[in-house]
Amino acid sequence: MRPEPNVVRAAAAAMVLALALGRGPSARSALGPRYGGELRIAVAEAATTVEPSVPRGLADRILAGLMHEMLLGVDEEGRPRPALAQSWASAADGREWTLRLAAATFHDGAPVGSADAVRGLRRFLRSESAAAAHLARALEGGDEYRRRGTEALPGLIALDEGRLVLRFRVATAVPLAPLASPAAAIVSGRGAGAGPFVPTTPPSARGVSATAFGRHVRGRPFLDVVRLIAAPSDRAARSEGLAADVAASATPLPPAAGLLLLLLDPAAPPLADGRVRALIAASVDRAQLARHFLPGGEAAEVLIAPTLLPALPVPPPRVPPGPAPVSGRLVLRVSSEVPQSASQRVVAHLTALGLEVRAVAAPVASAPPGSPRLLVWYPEVAEAGLALEELAALAGSPAPVRTALEAADSVRDFDRRRADLQRIEESLRATHVLVPLARLPLPLGARSGVHALRATASGALVVENAWVEP
Amino acid sequence: MGRAVSVRAQAVRRGQGLRGRLLAAFVLVAVPPLLLFAVFVMALLSDRLERAAGQRLRQGIDGVRARVTGLQRQAEAGVASIVHDNLSSAPLTEEKTRSAAEELGASHGLPLLEIVDGSGRVLSSRQWPAGVGLPEGDREVAGASHLRWETVADDYGAAERMAVVATRPATWGGVPVVVRGGFPLDAEMLAELSDLMGAEVALRDTARGRWVARADSPLAQAAPFDPAKGEGTVDISGTAYRWAAAPLGTSLWEVVAVPHTLLAVVTGGVGWVTLGVAVLALLAALVTALVLSGRIAGPVRALAARARAVGAGDLEHTAVEASDEVGELAHAFASMTHELRTSRERLVQAERVAAWREMARRLAHELKNPIFPIQLSIETLRRALDQDGAQDGARFQSLFRESSDTILDELRSLRAIVEEFSQFARMPPPRLAPTDLGELVERVLALYRARAATVHIETELAAGLPPVPADRDLLARALGNLVANALEAMPDGGTLAVKTRAVGEGVALEVSDTGPGLTEEQRTRLFTPYYTTKKGGTGLGLAIVQGIVSDHGGRIQVESAPGAGTTFTLVLPSAPIMMATP
Repeated sequence: MRPEPNVVRAAAAAMVLALALGRGPSARSALGPRYGGELRIAVAEAATTVEPSVPRGLADRILAGLMHEMLLGVDEEGRPRPALAQSWASAADGREWTLRLAAATFHDGAPVGSADAVRGLRRFLRSESAAAAHLARALEGGDEYRRRGTEALPGLIALDEGRLVLRFRVATAVPLAPLASPAAAIVSGRGAGAGPFVPTTPPSARGVSATAFGRHVRGRPFLDVVRLIAAPSDRAARSEGLAADVAASATPLPPAAGLLLLLLDPAAPPLADGRVRALIAASVDRAQLARHFLPGGEAAEVLIAPTLLPALPVPPPRVPPGPAPVSGRLVLRVSSEVPQSASQRVVAHLTALGLEVRAVAAPVASAPPGSPRLLVWYPEVAEAGLALEELAALAGSPAPVRTALEAADSVRDFDRRRADLQRIEESLRATHVLVPLARLPLPLGARSGVHALRATASGALVVENAWVEP
Repeated sequence: MGRAVSVRAQAVRRGQGLRGRLLAAFVLVAVPPLLLFAVFVMALLSDRLERAAGQRLRQGIDGVRARVTGLQRQAEAGVASIVHDNLSSAPLTEEKTRSAAEELGASHGLPLLEIVDGSGRVLSSRQWPAGVGLPEGDREVAGASHLRWETVADDYGAAERMAVVATRPATWGGVPVVVRGGFPLDAEMLAELSDLMGAEVALRDTARGRWVARADSPLAQAAPFDPAKGEGTVDISGTAYRWAAAPLGTSLWEVVAVPHTLLAVVTGGVGWVTLGVAVLALLAALVTALVLSGRIAGPVRALAARARAVGAGDLEHTAVEASDEVGELAHAFASMTHELRTSRERLVQAERVAAWREMARRLAHELKNPIFPIQLSIETLRRALDQDGAQDGARFQSLFRESSDTILDELRSLRAIVEEFSQFARMPPPRLAPTDLGELVERVLALYRARAATVHIETELAAGLPPVPADRDLLARALGNLVANALEAMPDGGTLAVKTRAVGEGVALEVSDTGPGLTEEQRTRLFTPYYTTKKGGTGLGLAIVQGIVSDHGGRIQVESAPGAGTTFTLVLPSAPIMMATP
């Protein structure tokens, strides 16, 4: 029987404490994690919601990771990892999956039960989430339920207090991966989460504070308090006397999981012309962009991170034949997560082609049709197939891509599925509606003395294992 | 009374006419010069303000030119220094190249600095680092090599800024380059110039159709106008602006504009002040006119009232307080009144004396006539007595009887004369009672119709005449005298007309004949006692008539001319509220 995570943490901390008493400060960090302390994270914008949903920005992603817990996580290959569900088993040739819940507790003290899971998943299935759409298509009765044609959902059953069953129409490659979406987080009947930290203040324009949740499913976090501070810059944060431990930095946390994506909506001229889009896609010097305008960034030729989907060799960009018909005016909507220097560089490229570009900082989610967008995209679930579905939706769900994705979802052979996904990625990229430019890490770096802070492929910040030196 | 009211109304109107003429005179004297003055002042102010605006515009134009020239010199100095001192010949690294413009620009005080290679590719840029490695683009301003539209980083993209730049070729790391540095002519700088000049300063690129102006500049909101005209006026959001422009390049203009509101405000202010002063002047003119007209017209009206009183017969001295010419007039009038009064008194006395003399003459004449026959009869009797009395008694008796008859006749005549005089002297006061004049006329005419055998008698008696307060007997006697006179004036026949009618002050009674008429002398002496044109008349008849009419509060007048007959008109007042009862 494996010891409880709390016990492991406690023992490690005791050893560290004993050793630290006999060592100087300079060696403390080498001794390992310690309980206690406060971590201040400065972000450019405040979190917009505490409800389980697809995060719209960095602050939302961080806060979701602090407050909430899903049934499962996924590894880089899309395989599930335990979270609130500690184990799972399939039956009926992969069409039925039974999840056993861990002995977890919500922040309000209520135990996590299957009824809470079912309630959470029902809400998830009707949310604005690509992963939810995928799950609804796969679950029995999921489509109708998602379209609100019925309240019956035969594909989701609470077997007993500690188990729930998911029944799928067909066996799919990664049936449980959608459950790792932040929108699928499970909350109690009173809305309390089950994440490693409990919010102590309601989110405001200035930020939010959270304290360690001692009964977290993976044990109490090392940190006592995490403060998420909304400040336009670290300088602004310092000017308010709130020196941040984690803030915008020239040395951001790896990995570079965010995709700087140029979305060329073909709904209106001049982007309606595929040659113009191809020319734009070919004209951007991605290496220069990443090297000089994206600290910690790297050029991206493909849409899915190689860690999720190894890329096929990408041929050098080819300028389409014929006279360059590039002229016209564009209003480029830029997400606030895009560094200004990178946005300016993209504008410079477009201007050099002959376009008149006006860049405005605006929420890209609400951009009108026909307007190009520059954003930093993180997959909702760090799984290649789901990521491609999400990207396909951004590109307007071209029918061939959608068909190919549905076909690939039923391929259970890992290698074959990977090859299918590669081809789908290539065909999606070939429309030049989605132009990958670079990969960039979270725009956050930690000061020295902050340890074990980790960024995820979904653009979240894992704080539960972080600790700070005294 | 109606006539008096009419006269009074005319007098009031005359007074108002004088006041109105005085007011009009003062207004004409005061207001036109004031209006002329205001027009002159506004014209002068308008001209001065226009000139001042023109001067401000010229100063603005010159100021912008001076600023641009100054910036150009600074840019040239900075770029020259960079080219001379700071561009090494050592091979360049990418990092060093990229950061060079920022470092050199900061050290030489050039907000804008770019280094471009021979192919027009940007090697380093302080204002637009995102453009490094890309072509610089066509940003020149035609006809002005020192001016360019520079791309500068702006939020998530870029913006174009007009800039004053200096350009120099150089060699950098063995590579031929062009170093271009300068200063932005952006909204901030133009705002500073605008505040300094007190005018709106902006740049207009007619080739691109763009304004470079401060954020809230009204010029950027103006309807398009052609700066090539040099100057003009443009309306912006309801405010008129005067503008002037000068070329900075072939298609780039500096435009300076000033609002015309000051002129409108000042002229409006002058207008209001003028209006206010004009109103005050009018009020002052009105007050002065009222005061002066009162001082002038008052004595004049008083004088006129005294004249009317004099005309009505009131010659009592009443001083009219006045000075100056009016006072002289009043003094002369008073003297005239005094003379009139004295003359009237003398006249009255003379008339009185004349009347006594006439009466004495008439009395002597009347008495003399009967006395002579009496004396002659008595002398005849004495002679007869002396001559024939002893011898012929019968002849004496016959002569005595004849002579005594003559004496008795003459004595009766004397008695009649004495009775008539006595009646004239002892005219009783009338006892007034409401009298129907028409009925009285008929009654009197009835007494004379028998004597009017050859005279046609006509009556025209108005119906509905108000009763007249009169003594019936006296009035009948007066009417009878007039009728008798009229009949005596027509011995050979004619027409006697008696009319009654209503007049303003009462009732009129007319007695007209178609006799020979009266001369002017006869008419004027007609009512003098003892004046008569008839043989055997006492001359008291018309005097008695006049006395009776006068005692009734009326008046009598006569109209006559030789050969045109004679008309006597008696005007008697109407019945008062309280009437004497018989």
